[in-house]
Amino acid sequence: MEIKTKEYRVWREEATIHYEGTMRLSGTEAYAPILELMDDVLKSKPETIVLDVTELEFLNSSGINLLAKFTIEVRNRPDVGMAVRGSTRIPWQSKSLPNLKKLYPAVELTIN
Amino acid sequence: MIQQFGHTDSSNGAAADLGKLRLSEGSLDISWHHCSTTADFLGDFFAVQAKVGDPELNEIRHAIGYLVNELLENAVKFRAPGDIEIEASFEDGNFELRVFNLIAEETALRFQRLLSEITARDAGELLIERIEQNAADPSSSGSGLGLLTLMSDYGARLGWKFIHDERAGPVELQTYAALSLS
Repeated sequence: MEIKTKEYRVWREEATIHYEGTMRLSGTEAYAPILELMDDVLKSKPETIVLDVTELEFLNSSGINLLAKFTIEVRNRPDVGMAVRGSTRIPWQSKSLPNLKKLYPAVELTIN
Repeated sequence: MIQQFGHTDSSNGAAADLGKLRLSEGSLDISWHHCSTTADFLGDFFAVQAKVGDPELNEIRHAIGYLVNELLENAVKFRAPGDIEIEASFEDGNFELRVFNLIAEETALRFQRLLSEITARDAGELLIERIEQNAADPSSSGSGLGLLTLMSDYGARLGWKFIHDERAGPVELQTYAALSLS
């Protein structure tokens, strides 16, 4: 499953969701298809869901809110773990991804 | 009548590099695109002030781009018909942005209530609290999260001035932002 536009691409490989490009959608509704893709992975009850944002150059606050909302959904499912992979090359990630760990300390956050 | 919230002072002087832009009103699609192109442009425009090879250059470009994009997205989402004017300046590692646009009176009142709440508490704590509330209520639009992200994660100093003359009609909103990037 893949969502692709000229600005960004989101796809899943097993329980890993990859994000690439620049995501500046206009709000919750615009992000709904992406949340749906993420929810499908959650429904498949993997041991650990991995969000790989190492190639996501830009994410606006509506998008960060989407990741936060999803983190809370995973928190409500103690049978599913969550890992987030980011990159120090992309400044928003070191600034905002730690908030996910504040919401759910069990999130395994790696920013390399 | 003028009502103020947050930090509306500015410190960059007349010698600061200054850029002024006016974004004309258009369809939402085009206006939304203006937010990102303007944000990327101003990020690149002011990043040249960083020294060549400065490892902070990427940070500066990104932080300016993020701030401009968020504040313009808000202006585009909530404006009353009319242009959006932008003034950006950079001096001694201090980036300042002012955004001018009109908003409807009702929108202004709603926004003022939100601002009284989000400027009264620690932005980091409030951001987490608001995300939790937002997740618990699917109908919530998450308003204020962008501003809280700027204050909490980027250390942005934000301020707002609402200028309303006695006649009924749209309110002039001036949004102030400063980022210390040195």
